Amino acid sequence: MTSIYKADAVFGDDSEETFSVAPRFCLIVDDSATIRRFSARLLNAMNFVVGEAEHGVAAVEACRLVVPDLILLDWNMPEMDGLACLKAVRAMDLQPRPMIVMCTTENVLPKITEALAAGADEYIMKPFDRDVLRDKLAQLELI
Amino acid sequence: MDDLLQEFLTETNESLATLDVELVRFEREPSDAKILGNIFRLMHTIKGTCGFLGLPRLEAVAHAGENVLGKFRDGELDVTPGAVTLILKAIDRIRQILSAMEQTGAEPAGEDSALIAEINAMASGQAVPEMAAASLDDDGGFPVAAELLAEVAQAIEQNPTLAAPAPVIEPDVKKAEPAKANGEPAAPAAESSAAASSIRVNVDVIENLMTLISELVLTRNQLLQLQRGQKGNEFKVPLQRLSHLTSDLQDGVTRMRMQPIGNAWAKLPRIVRDLAVETRKRIELVMLGADTELDRQVLEIIKDPLTHMVRNSADHGIEPGAERLAAGKPEAGTITLKAYHESGHIFIRISDDGRGLNVEAIRRKAIANGLVTEPELATMSEQQIIQFIFRAGFSTAEKVTSVSGRGVGMDVVRTNIERIGGAIEMSSVQGQGTTFLIKIPLTLAIVSALIVEAASQRFAIPQINVIELVGVSDRSDVSIQRINNAPVLRLRDRLLPLVSLRGLLNLAEDETGAGRTSYVVVAQVGSAKFGIIVDRVFDTEEIVVKPVAPILRGTPFYAGNTILGDGSVILILDPNGIAQAARQQTADDGKSDVHAAAQDGIKDETSFLLFGTRGSELKAVPLELVARLEDLDAASIEHVGGRHVVQYRDHLMPLVPFDEFHEWPASGKQAVLVFSDHGRSMGLAVDKVVDIVRDRMAIELSSERTGLLGSAIIAGKATDIVNIGHFLTLAFTNWFDGAVEARVVAQRRALVVDDSAFFRNLIVPQLRAAQWHVTSAANGAEALRIMEADRPFDIVISDIEMPEMGGLDFAAAVRRDQRWQGLPMIALSSHANANDVQQGRAAGFDEYLSKADQPRLPENLARAMDAVTQASPWRNAS
Repeated sequence: MTSIYKADAVFGDDSEETFSVAPRFCLIVDDSATIRRFSARLLNAMNFVVGEAEHGVAAVEACRLVVPDLILLDWNMPEMDGLACLKAVRAMDLQPRPMIVMCTTENVLPKITEALAAGADEYIMKPFDRDVLRDKLAQLELI
Repeated sequence: MDDLLQEFLTETNESLATLDVELVRFEREPSDAKILGNIFRLMHTIKGTCGFLGLPRLEAVAHAGENVLGKFRDGELDVTPGAVTLILKAIDRIRQILSAMEQTGAEPAGEDSALIAEINAMASGQAVPEMAAASLDDDGGFPVAAELLAEVAQAIEQNPTLAAPAPVIEPDVKKAEPAKANGEPAAPAAESSAAASSIRVNVDVIENLMTLISELVLTRNQLLQLQRGQKGNEFKVPLQRLSHLTSDLQDGVTRMRMQPIGNAWAKLPRIVRDLAVETRKRIELVMLGADTELDRQVLEIIKDPLTHMVRNSADHGIEPGAERLAAGKPEAGTITLKAYHESGHIFIRISDDGRGLNVEAIRRKAIANGLVTEPELATMSEQQIIQFIFRAGFSTAEKVTSVSGRGVGMDVVRTNIERIGGAIEMSSVQGQGTTFLIKIPLTLAIVSALIVEAASQRFAIPQINVIELVGVSDRSDVSIQRINNAPVLRLRDRLLPLVSLRGLLNLAEDETGAGRTSYVVVAQVGSAKFGIIVDRVFDTEEIVVKPVAPILRGTPFYAGNTILGDGSVILILDPNGIAQAARQQTADDGKSDVHAAAQDGIKDETSFLLFGTRGSELKAVPLELVARLEDLDAASIEHVGGRHVVQYRDHLMPLVPFDEFHEWPASGKQAVLVFSDHGRSMGLAVDKVVDIVRDRMAIELSSERTGLLGSAIIAGKATDIVNIGHFLTLAFTNWFDGAVEARVVAQRRALVVDDSAFFRNLIVPQLRAAQWHVTSAANGAEALRIMEADRPFDIVISDIEMPEMGGLDFAAAVRRDQRWQGLPMIALSSHANANDVQQGRAAGFDEYLSKADQPRLPENLARAMDAVTQASPWRNAS
């Protein structure tokens, strides 16, 4: 894990890259503003436009306004946690169907099967860095 | 510093504050899954975020804490005060690390394994023996090596899996969920939707906006001023609209700066909780009106004073459980904080149901510190004595504990609150508790101010300090008088010390042309009243307060500056600083201390007027009794039938010489002290008025010399105190004998019962002057004998504390007798708190007056006498 004090090491010089395709929209759902900002930087560098929600209720609200291509969904949150949010978003039957990546820690790892069953596409262990996230998104063919 | 790290610091600090509050709640309601869920999540988020930022120390501590919380949640571990204290210790450690990071931008070097081992040991089910109180003390530093090693060894012994990362917790979210699923969603949901619709804005942005708005207000005012000179044109309507919009905008931004007072309270539950553990008491903290909003600047200033007072309550106010039970109170003490809006101010009440202030201790301390003398204390009520805690350097703590008595005294609290134009009051009842009431303005940024002028310069005085305006000129009734070169103003029979703004700020000298009109702004700071002399008074304006320029910081007179509608920059005066400076000035003079009369709110000192008589000896009279000082033209004094009179305000006023051998001047001036009583005035002719001094009212009752009450040490010299009552009677009996001979007055009869000759001397002349026939008695028993023997009385005025038979017994005895059922009775005591009054009334008194408010005693007594004689069906038998 790289320290943030060398921000370049984390974010690389991706900001210099040029993209030919239109940017995709990613909704980051996490109760930590720091993590939202961190993730946003990584995603911006991968040609994503980013929206933020601090809990499930706000995320569902956001999905009503704009259908995201990708939702990065934290597990432990106030109001509505990740699993409930996942179910609520899937119940909305959004078109086109957004990809949902559950962000998980060791605490909730055993429950990941339940999330996958409820409609999650992928999961990612926290903390993640640029390379891990890039690999996951590549698997989902989002980049 | 990286803005990501900055964000993390802000966010985590907020989470920690919430954690403090929630943990304290949780300790009391360990079965509330919702609170625990919230705590767990906050700790989990901190840990998770640390992982992203590569902060191993923080992550490890947070992880250990999360581990324990998980076990609480899963019911594997009991919630004990020791356990909660450990979690709080972890939070404190996180806070320490964060604060170091704020300085350096990097995680500081350090070792947390002892703490983590301790936490893990507890997580693995080990009892935490009696650690609560002890370990709280060492959370500032790290345990010494030996201790640390022992702890680790012990921990490893008990928990062999320790070396590995903490055990994975069986996740059992369900257990925490039901509360969420089943019920109470309404309130929290509403709360959080407010949170969801709010954004975080940097304070600088708002401050900047505020500055821009002040500029806008200024421009608007300029436009309005231009428009004023013009007849109606096409700009008028849009300009009005602009004006309204600007005002709305200003309101809006002002509101943006508002924060709920709960923000300042956030740390209190934790502080009280730790204190309760440390002192082994049970304390409930009740917070009401936490959403009351006030300006964040004000919030910052009152934060520390509030904390200090709550600490005091918890440490000194609330008694240990056993003591409370013995006193018939519930074992747990309660501290209540309540905030509310009223008439443009915020009120904050801090009360506890503890033992109340220790009046005895305060009394001893006050004497030990030389603040007061024993005889003076004897005349003071408990409420007056406890006010000493607001004096500088006065700590009530008998023994200084680690908790309070940190050198921040109540004087600092009061200074801080008064600095922002607030006020603080306190009352305390022994055995029942103490209550503080703080009153503070809503905002400091935009204030209503009075614009005044002195020596062609304009100044703003905050309206909150202004009580009234008085126009004065040499010709009007109200004029500025000079006593020993210090200006004073007699306003409604009270002498008000004055400060000349010109003099104070070294502006051009006062021109004392005849008939010149000037104005006195009567200002109040705390309990002190004084007048500021200015040349002109303009309007009141809403002004935007800008900080005082650095070059002026050294002077205490200015609170800041502002820009007026016409674009001119003017200074805002700080009445607090002016009051202090004025006091300082007079103190430097050494003798003349008129300004100190402004402190009459502090009742232990009295201002005296000193005057000269034929002998070299000075005499003194309490300044409060003097209505006016006059220098009469000798020619205007008439000599009629052996008496001297003068035409005074359309009346003939009798003049009485202080000295029977007084030589009335044939020409020139005659100095006269005018005393007023019930619409009549008399003048006391003296040689000259010398000075006004301020000193403690400690009169040695003495000599039976006519016309003197006794003597007191005033300004270091033994001085005779004049008994004005003597001269009043002299003037009026003579007066009535001579002029109204024909009038037959059926004199009403009063009985005055008091063991203090001083008070009898104070009251009796007043009653006589009001045409009462007065009989006096030294105690209740004597009074009863007189009542038996003498003609019926129309009113009885009695002291409470007297030898032989006190006032309460006396009143009860009177009421038991059929003959005196409806007799109006007034109690007059130096102890007059709510309890005393209640007892007095129960014993049979119709009214209960405090002797403490001596200056206003005659007035209060007259009013009470009118009230009770009118209300009572009692008719004199004769």
